Parts: sequence; C-alpha cells; structure tokens
Amino acid sequence: MRQETALTRWIGRERIARGRKPSAARRGGTQRLLLYGAAAVVIYFLACAIVPQWLAPFPPMEMRMDRSLLPPGPSHWFGTDYYGRDLYSVVVYGSRQSLLVGIASVLAGGLSGALLGAVSGYAGGLVDAVIMRAVDVLMTVPGLLLALAVAAALGPGRWNIVLAVAVASVPGYARVMRGQILSVKVRPYVRASASIGASPSRVFWTHVLPNSLSPLYVMSTLGIGASILAGSGLSFLGLGDWNASPDWGAILSQGRGYMTVAWWISAFPGFAITAFVLSVNLYGDWLRDFLDPKKNARGK
Amino acid sequence: MTLLKRNRNPMTAFALVSLLLFAGCSASAGSSAESGSASASAEPGRSAASQAPISGGDLTYGLATSPDSLDPHVSGLDVASRVFRSIYDSLVFLTEDNQIKPWLASEWSVSPDGKRYTFKLRQDVKFHDGTPFNAEAVKKNFDRIVDPSTEASIALSYLTQYESSEVVDPYTVRFNLKKPSAAFLRNLSQPSLAIVSPTAAEKYGKQLGQHPVGTGPFRFVKWEENSEIKLERNPDYNWAPDAFDNQGKPYLDTVTFKIIPEEATRIGSLQSGQVLAIETVPAQNVAALKNDSRFTIASHDALGLPFALFINERQAPWNDLKARQALQLGIDVDAIVKTLYFGVYKRAWSPLAPGTFGYDPALENGIQSDKEKAKRLLDELGWKPGKDGIREKDGKKLTIRYVESIPNKDKKQDIAAIVQQQLKEIGVAVELHFTKDVSQVVLMDHAYELFGGGTAGLDPSALTTFYHTHGLTGWPSLSGFDDPKLDELLERGETELDDAKRLEIYQEAQHYIVDHAVTIPIYVSPSISAVSKKVENLKYDALGYLLLHDTTVRN
Repeated sequence: MRQETALTRWIGRERIARGRKPSAARRGGTQRLLLYGAAAVVIYFLACAIVPQWLAPFPPMEMRMDRSLLPPGPSHWFGTDYYGRDLYSVVVYGSRQSLLVGIASVLAGGLSGALLGAVSGYAGGLVDAVIMRAVDVLMTVPGLLLALAVAAALGPGRWNIVLAVAVASVPGYARVMRGQILSVKVRPYVRASASIGASPSRVFWTHVLPNSLSPLYVMSTLGIGASILAGSGLSFLGLGDWNASPDWGAILSQGRGYMTVAWWISAFPGFAITAFVLSVNLYGDWLRDFLDPKKNARGK
Repeated sequence: MTLLKRNRNPMTAFALVSLLLFAGCSASAGSSAESGSASASAEPGRSAASQAPISGGDLTYGLATSPDSLDPHVSGLDVASRVFRSIYDSLVFLTEDNQIKPWLASEWSVSPDGKRYTFKLRQDVKFHDGTPFNAEAVKKNFDRIVDPSTEASIALSYLTQYESSEVVDPYTVRFNLKKPSAAFLRNLSQPSLAIVSPTAAEKYGKQLGQHPVGTGPFRFVKWEENSEIKLERNPDYNWAPDAFDNQGKPYLDTVTFKIIPEEATRIGSLQSGQVLAIETVPAQNVAALKNDSRFTIASHDALGLPFALFINERQAPWNDLKARQALQLGIDVDAIVKTLYFGVYKRAWSPLAPGTFGYDPALENGIQSDKEKAKRLLDELGWKPGKDGIREKDGKKLTIRYVESIPNKDKKQDIAAIVQQQLKEIGVAVELHFTKDVSQVVLMDHAYELFGGGTAGLDPSALTTFYHTHGLTGWPSLSGFDDPKLDELLERGETELDDAKRLEIYQEAQHYIVDHAVTIPIYVSPSISAVSKKVENLKYDALGYLLLHDTTVRN
C-alpha cells in the first residue's frame, strides 16, 4: 500500500514536470492554432446546419441531368453527382441531417445514460445491481451491431437512427456516471454535509451531482463525433431517411459505386465527416484538460 | 486420370495417349487430338482447320448474389439460372435468334387442336447419378413441378395451360394441355423447366436445391454458402444441341462460381485476375472495361417485360385515365435512363421488351415527356397547386407512395429519387418507401401508388401475369387495371396458335396498355458481363444465360 502511494506520487510528479514545460509552449503555438482551426470548422458546419440556404449556391435536390458527374471546378466546387446535383450544396444541406443525428443522439443517450448511472450509483444496493446488470447485458453487444439491430427492427428513418445510436451509447454514459457518483459520494465534504443534517436529495443535488458531471461533458463532446460516425455508418447501409436531403453517410454510400468514375461524390462527404469529427475530438481533448484539476491549466 | 479410366472408346483413349505424348511439343498438336476425341471424330476436317480448342482449366465466374436454390423448379432467380443452366438440360433449345431446336427431345409433334404435344426423346442420355433419362423421368419431372408441395414458383407460371403428361413408350412422352398454348413449346426451353434426376428428386425432396443432379455438361461438386459453387466436367456428356460446335463433353475441367456481392470488389476481382468473368457490371463501369484491352463486355437485353412503373389503380385518383396520363407525361424517362445508365441500358417504350415475340416497334418514340400538358390534365381534374406547390383537392394533398425494395439493385432506388423530383415539378408529392418486404406491401396490402417491376420471359404471354385482372397464376395484377377488353386480348393471345394473328393481338394489347397509361415503361434490363480475353467461346442463350459447352480458357 505504502509502496503504491509512493509510486503514484512519483508518477504524478513526473507527469507534472514533463507535462508542463512543453505544454506551455504548445498551448501558445500549434495547439492553440489547431483549436482555432477546429473552432472555425465546428462553427462553419453549425452554420451549415442552421442556415444552409445562405451557404449553398444551389438548391440541394435540384437535379439537372445536363450537368451530371462534372468534376470539381469553379462553378461546382465539389463537382456534381450523377443526378446532376451540386455536391457542395448537397454536403452543406447534409450537415443538418448529420449534425442533428450526432447531437440529438448524444443528448438522448447521454441524458438517459447519466440518469441510469446516477440513480444506480447513488441508490446502491438492489437498484444498483439490477440497473448495472441490464447495462452489462447491453454492453456485451458491440455498439454498431446494437444500433444496426435497433435500426433494422424499427425500419429506415432519421429518428430511428438517432434512437439506434442513442441506445448503443447508453451503457458507456451509465458506467462513467455511476463510477463518478460512487467516488464522489464518499468524499469527506459530502459526508460532512450529510452529517450536519442535509437531506439525501440536497446532498445529491448540491454536492454529488455537480461534482460528477465533468467527465460526462468531455465524454459527450467526444460522443458527438462518434455518433455522427455511427449515424453516417447506418445511413451508409441504407437505413437513413430517403425523403429528406441525404446526410453525409448517405451521400458517401451513393458515390460508392462511382469511385472509379467520379471519386468526388464519396470523397467530399468523407472529408466533411473527417473534418467535423476531428474538430469535435480536438475540443473534447481540450475540454478534458481544461476540466481536469490535476492539469491545473485553468489558473495559468 | 479419371478421364482416361472412364473413356471406354479405344479411339478416344488412343487420342488421349497421343495427347499426353505430344503435350510438350506444341499446343496445336495436343489440342487437335483432344478435340478429335470430343467431337467423336465426325468432322476431322473442321477441327483441324479452325483454331483447335484447349482442353482443361477452371473457369472462375463472379456472381452478384448467392442463388437461393439450385433446384430449377423452385428457384426463379436469374443468378440461380446462370448456375444451373450448366447442370441441367432442357427438352428443347432456343437459339439466340428465337429458333426452337432439339435437345433432350429429338423431335416432336403437335395435335391439330394444339392441345397435345408428343415428344420423342434421346435414348443415349443419363443423369449424373446414373439414372437413365427416359419418358418416365420426364413425366416425374412435370408431376413434381405441378405438385403443390414442391412450391414451384416461376416454373409453374410457364405451365398455366398444362394438364397432365403420359408415357407413350419408354422414349416417348405426351403432354396434354387444358387449352392450346402458343407459349408452351418455347417455354420448355426455359432453365426453370429443366429436367432433374427423378432419383435425386425423390431422395432429397426439397433439399434437391443443395444437391442438384441433372443431365448437363457439368456435375455439381460443392456449394459453400455465400462463397462459391463448384462444378466439374460430366465426362459422359454427349448430347449438346446442334447450335454448339462441341456436342461432346465440355473442354473445361471445372467451373467455379464465386459469390461477390459488392460491385467494386467484383470488378476488382476481375481486374486482378482472381476471376475470369463477372456478371452484373454496373453501367458506369462499362466504358472503362470496354477500353481495357484485357476484357470484353457482353451485353444481352432481356426478353420479356422491361422494367416499368405500375400505377396502382385501386387508389383514387389514379383510376382516372387523365391522372395516369399526367404521370406518364410528367416523368421524363429519357432523362432517367441517360442519367443513371449512360446509354448502356436502352429506354423501354412498350410493356414488352424488344426482340420478344409480338413486340411492336411502332411504339418507339411515341410518348414524350410534356410537363405543361401534365399540369393541365391535373388542373382539369380539379387538383390545384397549394402553397407549397403540391396540388390539393378537397383539402387532400396529391401524394404518391412509391415502393421500392432494399437493397438498391440496378439503381432502382435512384429511379425513385429522380421520379420524386420530376413529379414535384408538376405538383405531385412522392413519398419513397424502401422496404425489404415488397411482397407484403405490394401484393398483400396494395399500399402503393407506384411500384416498378419487370420479368424475363420468352413469350408475350408473360403480360398476362402482370396485366390481366386476375393474373391467371393467382397473383393480383400490379396495376389493378380492371378492364375486360385487355383481359380478353390477353386470354386470346395465350391460346391463339396462328403466329400472324397472335402478333396482331399482342400489338393491340401493347397499344392498349400504353394508351391507357397502365404503366410507364422505363428501361430494358440487360445482363452485362465482363469476360477476360483468356476465355473463349463463352456463349449465351436467348435469355442471356451462360452456355459453357464450347468454352475454353487459355493460360
């Protein structure tokens, strides 16, 4: 035990010593630049999702057979697809669908997962055992497979994809939340609060919950990227909404058969997915550092 | 070596020995000996003069989907027919130019009333399992197809007028029909009516599809689910139709059908040489493969009914001719076919495909898209554009449910997407319903206004299945078009035996269907395969199915 603590302390000291110097330099330079870039990308795609009509030069569903399969050029930045649609406009409008799936499924999955985890962790006992075994069962099924099963059972459609991705992400959130609650609820200040007569619900709302949330912020930020990927994967497999303008995964799938003839149909929605997911992940990393009291970056 | 043992003919054995001796000398010496043995030395001049075929080798062929069953009576899938065409033979053979020739039947006659067909059978044929081929075997086959417990599908639809069969003598069989049927003889050449071994059919029952036994040029070896199907040469084979150069056993040692569903992978497998030929080449890849000197493209337009959109007239307002005509004029078929199929697929103009008996070329370039006229027609019916541009009448929006199947085969979902945009322009909202359960939605619930379909067939009587009010096979017609005049035409077409009169009937029926906007024909579906130039003499029948009797592979 003693040995372990010594080891942990040593690792901690080393990490702080090693981490600080280069990180100070990095934070000022490359890292900051990356963050600004990522912010630009995220803001741009959010704008695309909110006001696509301002950013897209053409109506996304306008099919003009006389301009089908044009390569990228000055009049069509991303080229055109085989329907003769302007691919840039399709991608801009597609961001609405993709971001919606990403954000909505994180909200749904994160909230329900957090709720389950919080109840489970705080209540303990039989409640904990039942909820956690259920979550364990969900966890045994790989995420994408679970999403696929849900989507296949409910049929194609945008909200079904949201639900599918959300269900698949519940176990992760529940586990993290429960772990956080378990570790926070035995901390001295929480016990102190209980010992001077605070009711369990007051302890929970004022002490336990607020101090358990920060990993969840990080996780859900990273989760947006993962959800967009999963959602794109599902609509790539043909489970999306066919009556709305296609999301990034659906465009990617439509271009798949044309890879040797018109690479741009698949390439640009692919870039959009990569750029957005990467940017969101960079933010997630930054947020983790920012919220981590040990890294202590906040004060400096 | 098995080959040597099984050949009892001393001449053949001698030819093979000489083949072995001269194998190292030159290719032409070796192969002329082989072809001499194959065509029973009947025409030594011919085989010496022409480039002599090379015996041996494995033909690898990439299939787009896995067959459901290799039982010809049960499966109706194209992909299955492509495989079992090599395992089974039919009674008659249909040449590429629609001529009926002898195959397992050497000659036949029709009674004057057109209701009795008598077939004399070849006497030198036996099944892969050793069962002799005779009139009894043929009778058992047809009894099996009409037996409801077999659950025959397509095969049964070719026998709508069939009543019974009887054994006249060991090598003569007679079919009795309920009504004269002009299509009967031609349909006997269909792969679905191929002859299976009665012994195997009895032994395996419904499992025959996993253990196919026929009289064909190749014997079944194994079927690895979703991976490959392997066939080997039938060394006893000696009964190919005259249309082939080689009536004897095939040149290829084995044929391996590899199942490669992903389009890009299938094309990649061909380009990298993992397979020597592939089926179902997507239209956008045809140009590139054509320009590649290593491959040839073979395209066969299917006979029968082209892919057409059926307007469900059970749903108002589509029971009104004007409303249907609005769709007919509002959908720009040329644009669809050009955009999606790059001129590789032909546009269809008639409910029959070109080349099918009865096809009327006068329909070509008949109906042209005219959006203004389409709008006028809908205006006349009282459907006025609402705020969002979608037409309304009595508070109801003009909405169409367009049903298509999952997955996106032959870009049919893309057709739906284009139709959705085109009809929006004339104020009709299209909801796309893509479902795995097409037969439930379409055939049982009739929950659609537009649904696309087509079928391969040799005879215009295929129209009956899709357009007759009662469909004759028991299926409801896709259009729900309830019209005594069309029904009468189709019924007469089935039984008329005089070709000239029959032609007239079917031409009238086609015009009637187009004039009444029952369907909107879209494209004639071709089967496009890409074949390595190492493969020679890969042949196709009238339906575009593979025939491997003459095929050779060069290394």
